[in-house]
Amino acid sequence: MGKSQETQMTEQEVASEFKSYYLQRATKEFAEDLDKVRGADDFRNDALQILVSALQQGTELFSPEDQRRIVMASSSSTSSSAARA
Amino acid sequence: MGKRFTRGVDALSAPHKRQKIVHEAPTAEDIYASRQLRHLLSYDQDLARTRHGLQSFKLFLDALLAKQGDHEEHVKILKDYLDAVRPTDGVGASPGDGDGDSDRAVYLPDIMQTWSQAAQTNNDNIMSAVAVILALLLKLLSHTLDMAPCGLGICRTLLQKRQLELISRNLSADKGKSFIISPTLRMLREVVCFDGGAVASPLFRARASTLKSLARNMGIGHIGDVAEDIKRPSVRTNAVQFFLSALRYMHPEAKKELLSQRDIVAALTRDFKQDPPYLVSEILGGLRSQILLDDKLAREAKSNLLNVSTLVRISSLYQYRQTTSEESGSTSPSIPDVAHDFLMTACTTPSCGVLRQDSGLYPREIDPNAVIPVAELDELGLEAVVWMNRFKTEVPVRNYVLSNFLQNLRPWSSIQQSELVTAVFRVAPELVANFFLNNKSFSFEPKLSATWIGYAAFLFNTVAMPLPECFCRAPVFPELPPPTSLVLDNILPLPLNQKALVRCLAHKSNIISFFATRILVLAIQKLDTALKLHHDPSHPSPLLWREAARRLVDEFCQRSPGIKDMINSYRLIPEDDILHREAASQLLRLCYEVIPQIALTAKFDVSPFLETALVRLSKQDESDDPRDFALSLKELENLLAIAGYSPGMRWFTASDSLALSPFAMLLKVYVDAPRRVSLDKARQVLGFVAVEHQLVPAHTGRPGLLPLLETLQSLNRSSPDLMAQVWPFLDNCLTRCATSPIKYLEIAQELIQEASASPGNDDSPRAAITLVTVAMLEQLLFATKTENKLTLGALAQFLPRYMGFSAAGGEDRPLLDAIYSKMLPHLPKGKGTRAPKAIPDGVTFEYNTWPLGEETSQSVTKITGTIEDKTSEVVVMSAEDLQRALGVPDGLTPDNSALVKWTQKTADELVDEGYAVSLMTLLVSEHASIRKEALVNILKMAAKVRQSEYEEKEQIWLLLSELAETAREFIEEGPLPSPTVAFACHALAVLRDPLSTLYPKVNLVLTRGPVWNLDKVPLADEILLEEPSVGDSYYSQINWLLSYLVDSLRTPRDLELFHKKRLRGPLLERLLALASNPYMRLPLKTQVLRVLYRATGIEGGSTTLTTRFGVVSWLEAQSARCTNPSEAALYRAMLARIWETCDQDKVSAWSRHGVKASFPSSS
Repeated sequence: MGKSQETQMTEQEVASEFKSYYLQRATKEFAEDLDKVRGADDFRNDALQILVSALQQGTELFSPEDQRRIVMASSSSTSSSAARA
Repeated sequence: MGKRFTRGVDALSAPHKRQKIVHEAPTAEDIYASRQLRHLLSYDQDLARTRHGLQSFKLFLDALLAKQGDHEEHVKILKDYLDAVRPTDGVGASPGDGDGDSDRAVYLPDIMQTWSQAAQTNNDNIMSAVAVILALLLKLLSHTLDMAPCGLGICRTLLQKRQLELISRNLSADKGKSFIISPTLRMLREVVCFDGGAVASPLFRARASTLKSLARNMGIGHIGDVAEDIKRPSVRTNAVQFFLSALRYMHPEAKKELLSQRDIVAALTRDFKQDPPYLVSEILGGLRSQILLDDKLAREAKSNLLNVSTLVRISSLYQYRQTTSEESGSTSPSIPDVAHDFLMTACTTPSCGVLRQDSGLYPREIDPNAVIPVAELDELGLEAVVWMNRFKTEVPVRNYVLSNFLQNLRPWSSIQQSELVTAVFRVAPELVANFFLNNKSFSFEPKLSATWIGYAAFLFNTVAMPLPECFCRAPVFPELPPPTSLVLDNILPLPLNQKALVRCLAHKSNIISFFATRILVLAIQKLDTALKLHHDPSHPSPLLWREAARRLVDEFCQRSPGIKDMINSYRLIPEDDILHREAASQLLRLCYEVIPQIALTAKFDVSPFLETALVRLSKQDESDDPRDFALSLKELENLLAIAGYSPGMRWFTASDSLALSPFAMLLKVYVDAPRRVSLDKARQVLGFVAVEHQLVPAHTGRPGLLPLLETLQSLNRSSPDLMAQVWPFLDNCLTRCATSPIKYLEIAQELIQEASASPGNDDSPRAAITLVTVAMLEQLLFATKTENKLTLGALAQFLPRYMGFSAAGGEDRPLLDAIYSKMLPHLPKGKGTRAPKAIPDGVTFEYNTWPLGEETSQSVTKITGTIEDKTSEVVVMSAEDLQRALGVPDGLTPDNSALVKWTQKTADELVDEGYAVSLMTLLVSEHASIRKEALVNILKMAAKVRQSEYEEKEQIWLLLSELAETAREFIEEGPLPSPTVAFACHALAVLRDPLSTLYPKVNLVLTRGPVWNLDKVPLADEILLEEPSVGDSYYSQINWLLSYLVDSLRTPRDLELFHKKRLRGPLLERLLALASNPYMRLPLKTQVLRVLYRATGIEGGSTTLTTRFGVVSWLEAQSARCTNPSEAALYRAMLARIWETCDQDKVSAWSRHGVKASFPSSS
């Protein structure tokens, strides 16, 4: 993703990108616990959907600026390594 | 049951024996001419022939509707037939059947007669067949424009008395005879819809027949294991479809009447879950468009439909599991979705008849604007509001339907139900506390299960909801604050109690502690908002609201886990769980920001956490996800903010686990960060700490730490290998510079003098140098002796570059040249490592935005903009705002009732609950008799305390006795000077707490002698001049002194004590000097301003301040120096106050109109 393209990312794009990052990060951190929840007796029907949405709720704790800051960092390594090369 | 008649032609030959109830297929023939049709349908006594005719006509109509065969021809046949049987005026009309001619005319007289005869002879088949063909015929005619009048005529015919009786009879046929009931309902549906509901009103007027047995018929559903066939709808389906069509075409009054029929409304939704999907969709769609969204329909009518049981039945569709037909399955929304949409609209739209307007967090039946006598409020505070504590176990609400309905939902097991409940909470905030008070069965005890997670998610959503503006619906705050328990229930709902939350935070499953942490973060943010609302300046009775705010914080702290639990939970989080760490650090940060009184109770050393975070960030390499880095940086920022609140942060002391000091570590993190990660906050902290420790000068327009940052970043990019050698050297320089700045200041002075003395340099004496540069020069000498070649080679790269950026950043070039020339001999001269002979010229800042005033002006504004914008922005503060900011109520207002109130109290109560203070305050009373009484009582109280078991009884006795002894001699002369009494009152609070940093000093005053000098302000000298006897408590002691001085300044006589000449200068002068301390924070400066504000309220105060203490220039200087616009506004408002309250003529004469010129607007 080019720089100009990134700066043009709308609020919604940033929010959705951040949401997916947050979910990915959360599933990584709590993998063990999530497995246990999936094995619980009451894990039926909507449970997976509830779990996913419960994890994603946390994005509300990040201001739009913080979300943008974290999402924007994603391509920095590629650009800086390209610069070093 | 009526007689059975033979059915069909074949039946004639059948023997007379018990007939099976089977519907034998009637015979039929194709129709080729209208004449033939007329013949077939003509009235005939022979029922078999009649049925044959009806069946032929049915097949004919079916084909027409399906557009099979020769359509045009068939249409013509039908048209000709209808024209032929159309009644002429008066023909076929039976008297008394209708009101007008058109109403009396009977269309299709033969068919109607056949129907009548079938009814008389109980011939079910024909009763059914007539209804079938009429339904089909009307359906066909409604699509054919030129035959519509004829259709309308048939509809009117059906609403004539004779036909209505037949309809009524058909509808009330036995439950098992669905083949009669269903087509009749279909026929009625066609009638009510015909020509846009042209006869809907007469149909409703004839409701005794047309709606006959509707509720019962709605209950005759499909039976069987196989799902209902859409082509063979059950009676219920037909009845419901008729009802919905009727709703569509009826006028609002009729609808209201219809909805008041409880049996029909109940039958409509009773067997909802068994209905086929298309019918459920139709019902919900119909009710939505015809009732919910019909603005003309009265609220009560809607309420009749949407009662608790209907809502509960609709909510049972959340578990609806029948699949929709394959074709529509993929496109149309599922039933749970449709039901959810319906409930969302019904429960959250005020016009739908369910939602009633509440008054936010004020329960039903209370008056938030009740007038309470001032005397009661003064004496009892919040306790004077009788209902304040009433709603802890029960809350009366206006939305009782919703309150009951919500209890039937399971928000923890379905996202949609959770969404519905929170949406209702949003529009009816009164229900939040009510919901959890009624729903006590569910606890938040941690358990790693899907239900617990669902419940946590639901509670998160509840806490995330904003509080109502002004806590109610009104646009302004009511007189009285809302019940504290209800505000708290909205911030931390009941299930989130301390016990459960502590267990969650300490739970071995990280996900549970993570969820609890996130909820707490939200809760504290919400508490912050609630407190701001409580402190809003527009409150009519601010004292009451402030008390409510204090109470809210107290109750919050009782329900939330303690700070220690939060710290422990943070400690237990694994190193790599950055999402969790970020949330936990944010929680701690919020505690420090919102409830510091609680946060500071725990001794929390943030340094180790900060170090861990710094180490982790400095280990970051390119293979890691840079988003993780940015997230970790957020945790770091939280910790840095906490460090800002804990004064003990040791920035320049490296611990055992750290190679570098925390400051250098942060610098390293900043330099190593991926290039596009935003580091503004880290840079601000670095800059702030550097300025605080005098590493770099604080002046605006100077680059500060930027040259160093720029050098490190550019070196890190061009020669990353060298960085490892540079860091220890740099850290050493920074640490030395921070720990002994005076040494480097002296060296800097020498360097400046040398440079200005050198020939050809007419440098101004204003030249300054960054101290850290001086430290580098000094340390380089030692480095050459101890460090290896590699390090020196690295320094040969680093130092010239640093000097170059310093020069480019606007530092004094000749001075830098002089310093560099002193460095150069110590730098290696070997090949490849040789340092340049002079400071490189023309370097430009690439990573940081600098310098000012050049092409990069756009970026420059980013750095300086904040400062310059703020100074250019003029904030104006009114006299009222100033009064609010600086006015403090008189702490020594005598209350004569104190003389009697204390006598029954124990020693603990006397000291802790303010009885002693009230009594001492009486010594400033205007009346000699009161003062004398007070004196006697103080001595009695002293004796009582001494005889008690109170722990600090000796000191308290001494304080009271000394005050009495001091007062005794002057008791007749007049009120005691306020500073003496204020000191005694404030000293009492110190004596109560032996851990107070002032404890030694107050005791020193007490043991010094039995009588105090009334001309002095006790302890002022000791606190202002002497070292604090306990650790780092200078500022807290100053704070104590200032709050006691504010209380001390009440009368012109007190003012004299403040400006009296003393050995070390008048007290006021010393206070002004105190506030000039650049390191003093705003709260303490504000305290000084409060003292001045008090002085301006005393006669002659402002004049004295102006003529004897130059307060006008002092305020102007303070205003010019500060960068915060609101602080500057405070100084300006104070200036205006001085001018307004001084003797303007005298001051103008004294200043030769100089002071007056400062107030153009006032003069």
